[in-house]
Amino acid sequence: MILRRDHVAGGAFVVAAAFLFAFSSDLPFGTLASPGAGMMPKLVLVLLMAFGTLLALRAGESPPLAEIAWGDFRHAATVMAVAAVATGLYTVIGFVLSVSVLLFTLLCLVERRPFWRALIVSIGVTVGSYLLFNTLLKSPLPPMPFWS
Amino acid sequence: MEATLDSLLLGFSVAFRPDVLLYAFLGCVVGTLVGMLPGIGPLAGISILLPVTFGLDATKAIVMLAGIYYGSQYGGSTTSILMRIPGEAASVMTCIDGYAMAQKGRAGAALCIAAVGSFIAGTFGVIALTVIAPPLGAFALRFGPPEYTALLVVGLVFLAYMSSTSLARTLLMASFGLLLGCIGIDVMTGHFRYAFDIPELGDGIGIVPVAVGLFGLGEILSTPSHSVTTRVAAPRLAELLPNRTEWRQSAMPIARGTVLGFLVGIVPGSAHIISSFLSYALEKRISRHPEQFGQGAVAGVAGPESANNAASTGAFVPMLALGLPTGPVTAVLMAALLIHGVPPGPQLVTEHPQVFWGFIASMYVGNLMLLALNLPLVGLFVNVLRIPYAYLYPLIIMFCIIGVYEVNHSIVDVWIMLAMGVVGYLLRKFDFDPAPLVLGLVIAPTFEMSLRQSLIMSNGAWTIFFERPIAGSLLAVSAGLLVLSLVSFLLKRKDWRDKLAEASSAESQ
Repeated sequence: MILRRDHVAGGAFVVAAAFLFAFSSDLPFGTLASPGAGMMPKLVLVLLMAFGTLLALRAGESPPLAEIAWGDFRHAATVMAVAAVATGLYTVIGFVLSVSVLLFTLLCLVERRPFWRALIVSIGVTVGSYLLFNTLLKSPLPPMPFWS
Repeated sequence: MEATLDSLLLGFSVAFRPDVLLYAFLGCVVGTLVGMLPGIGPLAGISILLPVTFGLDATKAIVMLAGIYYGSQYGGSTTSILMRIPGEAASVMTCIDGYAMAQKGRAGAALCIAAVGSFIAGTFGVIALTVIAPPLGAFALRFGPPEYTALLVVGLVFLAYMSSTSLARTLLMASFGLLLGCIGIDVMTGHFRYAFDIPELGDGIGIVPVAVGLFGLGEILSTPSHSVTTRVAAPRLAELLPNRTEWRQSAMPIARGTVLGFLVGIVPGSAHIISSFLSYALEKRISRHPEQFGQGAVAGVAGPESANNAASTGAFVPMLALGLPTGPVTAVLMAALLIHGVPPGPQLVTEHPQVFWGFIASMYVGNLMLLALNLPLVGLFVNVLRIPYAYLYPLIIMFCIIGVYEVNHSIVDVWIMLAMGVVGYLLRKFDFDPAPLVLGLVIAPTFEMSLRQSLIMSNGAWTIFFERPIAGSLLAVSAGLLVLSLVSFLLKRKDWRDKLAEASSAESQ
């Protein structure tokens, strides 16, 4: 049997929903006259399992799993990793430093732009955005810990 | 009618205030840019800029955010015509004949027809909204919990029926959204649901991190920078006017696209996208020269561009009158109103007339602004397209992080946005449309509350949904749509959606 795209997609939803259903045992379903906190999530999980099963059953209409193009995966994973590091640092070292690092890494290391241009753009855009949000729009961004 | 005109005058007195005009103008400019730039659609644009509106009153906030929405419909046509890159999904059909016209040296005429068509459609849409929304809102005052439950069910089923992907895929995504909407404290019993001891999840998952993650970050992850070209030639001002034949060929498609788009816009689903596909198919079907489609047919630009603008206005009817979002963009706009303490729905007209009528009047003004902006300044706007995508997407990621963080000043929201970016990337790989997910998330609290209230008030008798005439009628409509889909599936018969999807994919290639 050829493993197809919808076999994996439908199966993943069924497994995840079944796991969550088992995990939801502490949420009371209640009765129809007095529905509990678990009624809606459990109904939705049943729907998820039903539609996931339907998708997997009709997977013959979908292309084989091997045909999914993953050529952009490396770029996507790199961008995500850089964004995750910047998010981790966001409230620790503040907006200016973390976002400068984010922009510089993406421009210089990922996109291979010239060093000085990447540096100037990163710092310029970050400081400009900080002034726009923090000063002009009075919407506070995380400060650098040693700044204040 | 006289009362409507009086109220509209009140709206214009609000819309013509210099500060409101300024924010309408800002929304239109940002919307045009958002529509033009690949990798950032109206939903991501609105979500990212939502925190900027926190310091504003509700009227200015909604005027600016709505300006971004309908402005993006104008802007999307520019990249489609000049570069064959749809700035946003609703402009896909304009790529085909718009770019073909540009290749023949008629880029200016195509842009002008698209802008004029958008203006006519947008203005018609606002007039229809003015007439329809208040009485619909008054009618909806009769709605109780069972009616709202049935209305939300019909909304979800309509969304699934109208979707170009399968019914199961759409309902699967909507269920996923409903599940995400269950996270947090249950307001009726105080139970924590799927919060994993993270206090920030007690309030539930916000729509902004989910929308920005799925549509902003997810789109960037799916768009490698080397695949985006930035060669663009701006037409000169003198080349913008279409000739007499082109005007004549565009008149009826604009009229048909306007009416079709508005009607589709009222129906739940990604209306502005579907409407442009439907309009293109309609124009090709009734044309005396269908062979010209794909070769630079004027009707192939005029119809879809008018339709997507009329649909984006039509989508405001259920949002304002019923408090029912018909798509992810209106869902975010609804969230924006709620953040500003203005719940959309039947009572909006009576309790916040300044917001309601000010918003409607600002759309008349906004459409005029967009016409004035998009034609003479097209040369200026296309300069933005010359920014290499390698520089652009890091900035978009930065704005995604700022936008999400600023809503609650919560880093957990930013992590949710990143996680949703990954989910959005995977959903695209597996051919899922993320729009129903956002819609499910938005309606989840209302849906759950009205369902439970209905059951409590009927002492557990589920027949309450069928005994009340309005709820029963709405559920009958849902059942009818499900039966239609089932019949089509059992007979293996291709219905209009399959044919449309096939036609559009063939045309796009």
